[in-house]
Amino acid sequence: MKVLEIKNVHKIYNETEVQVHAVDDVTLEFREAEFAAIVGPSGSGKTTLLNLIGGLDMPTSGEIIIDGTNLSKLKSSQLIDFRMRNIGFVFQAYNLIPVLSAKENVEFIMSLQGWPKIDRDSRTYELLKAVGLSDRINSRPAKMSGGQQQRVAVARALASRPKFVLADEPTANLDSKSAAILLEIMEKLNHEEKITFIFSTHDARVVKMAHRVITLEDGKVVSDEVRE
Amino acid sequence: MIWKTAWKNVWRNRVRSLVVIASVTIGVFASVFSIAMMNGMVAQRVDAALDEEISHVQISGMGFRLNNDPQILITDRGKTVSQIKTVNGITGMVERTIISGMASTASKSAGVQIIGIDPEMEKKIFTLNKTIMQGTGDYFEKESKNELALIGQDLAKELNIIRYSIDSTVLLTLKMQEIPDEILDKLASLSGIRFANEKKFNKTINSLLSKREINKYGQKIKKEAWSFREGSRLTLTFLDKDNNQVGARFRLAGIYDVKNTMFEQSVVFVKDADLKRLTGIKENSFHQIILRINDIEQTEKITSELREKLPDLDVMNWREIQPDLAMLTDYVHQIYAVFMVIILAALAFGIVNTMLMVVLERTRELGMLTAIGMNKKKVFSMIMLESVFLSLIGGIAGMFVGWIVILLTAKNGINFVKYAEGMEAFGYSAHVFPEISAGFFIVVTFLIILTGIVSSIYPALKALKLNPVEAIRTE
Repeated sequence: MKVLEIKNVHKIYNETEVQVHAVDDVTLEFREAEFAAIVGPSGSGKTTLLNLIGGLDMPTSGEIIIDGTNLSKLKSSQLIDFRMRNIGFVFQAYNLIPVLSAKENVEFIMSLQGWPKIDRDSRTYELLKAVGLSDRINSRPAKMSGGQQQRVAVARALASRPKFVLADEPTANLDSKSAAILLEIMEKLNHEEKITFIFSTHDARVVKMAHRVITLEDGKVVSDEVRE
Repeated sequence: MIWKTAWKNVWRNRVRSLVVIASVTIGVFASVFSIAMMNGMVAQRVDAALDEEISHVQISGMGFRLNNDPQILITDRGKTVSQIKTVNGITGMVERTIISGMASTASKSAGVQIIGIDPEMEKKIFTLNKTIMQGTGDYFEKESKNELALIGQDLAKELNIIRYSIDSTVLLTLKMQEIPDEILDKLASLSGIRFANEKKFNKTINSLLSKREINKYGQKIKKEAWSFREGSRLTLTFLDKDNNQVGARFRLAGIYDVKNTMFEQSVVFVKDADLKRLTGIKENSFHQIILRINDIEQTEKITSELREKLPDLDVMNWREIQPDLAMLTDYVHQIYAVFMVIILAALAFGIVNTMLMVVLERTRELGMLTAIGMNKKKVFSMIMLESVFLSLIGGIAGMFVGWIVILLTAKNGINFVKYAEGMEAFGYSAHVFPEISAGFFIVVTFLIILTGIVSSIYPALKALKLNPVEAIRTE
């Protein structure tokens, strides 16, 4: 089942006198429960493509269709609501809310969506247990290691059962041990929750674990390799 | 969750939040307490005017109030009183004879209004009997064949009836009030000298003591140094009902102190029977009937009813007699509101500044929140709630401190003895009892919440303008 279609997407920046073609005619499809890595050198357009897929930025031309909805047709307020209900985000710098505990960070989006408390609590415990942090539910981000914070961020991204999770270089700030733990958890949740994971990365370990590797160069897809 | 997050965000930078909260606390406390002081002063002024000077309603013959013509009298007492008694809400009534004249002592004289009263009846309506200065006489109790007069403190000073001297008793009393010995030594040099009036005494004291000593102890010294000889005589001259000049010597049987210089300087009370006998006014005739009512809110209604029933007489209520008081009571709350709004507006700038810093510092976080799906309304609400929490915590603390200080000072009042002369010249007591209603705190709470909301608008709009992609990229 297709969850995401990217059709002839271009993103051109006119910030200087020279036009920058950050994403150049990209066409891709993602199915349910994929575990895909977008790789490529710096400046190849990985983050831009993720921002476009996540509805954080709009393509210059082309279409991005998530579960039948064309993002370009949505108003700004509808787009925010759409992101909340359909897309999970994991950022390179974790970006947890520092004043909230691990539990509160995970249940934040569910709360915005109006989930009943009892459902929020059970989903939060389930996810924190899945990421191996059931003993840190009341810890604030400042009291946790980078790896633990990123695991909370993964739990937060999955909390409201989105169509897919976008992760922008999720292991970039982690040591190798923490990165390995995080990747195992992400793969396990991908398998258990049947949620598509799309991540940009430079990390060879991530690439090694990915079931599909899309390589970008100068904004173009130069290879799209599916592994068994 | 938005409320919880906003509350926790307030304490993210504890020191900065506490500084803002402290500034709001101090601002709100200062305004609440200042307003309680103003309110106390106004309430005391209104009470004093109604209880000691004018009461609620005055009835006189047409034209008497304008011309002070002693021949304009209420002559049909029986009919007038029976008409008044048909109006509900009136709790007391006194009749007065009022003549303009001159009060003189051997050394000085002054123009005065001489009011003939029945002391027993007056006590039921006015509290003038409670304002008689200790040791000056017992006008309201004394039975005497002599004509007795009751005068104000300021008139007594003007007519040199109050004198000043320092003797061993005064020095001993001052010593008991912990006046330093070096000052007592200086004052001892004045023993045996009698000062004919306050001006001469002040001049001598000013040359004897330093400015600081006068500021600190001057009022206490003056209070103990004055003396009044009971039974002093006062000559009152005025016109009788046939416009012939008459005069009589009255024995002073009291000096009243109503903390209103103009009133004290101009009103002399004598027994009504004495004044009627001297002026030839008939026993059943009066210049004025004064009424007390049980509910001040009914003033206008009762006035209208009386005007209907007594069309030939001039009926005036306290609002018409002293429009300055009416204006005070009508607009005082608006004045408080304007005062409060100005203070809160000043505090709002501090809150705006803090909230702008908050938005700037949390650019990345706010971008992340928008990215993961927190809509503009919720982002706005969160910033607004943080601002409201900041102002409300400070506001509640300020009101609480204000309330405690008001409670502590309301019992004994605050005595601005240094400014007594100036304040009493305008009819205000220098001994102020702060007071405030519970309703005022509700209004202030509402204004504080409004301040928080208004202060958050600009920073919240800034937050809404953040582009999530750029915000997340921000280091």
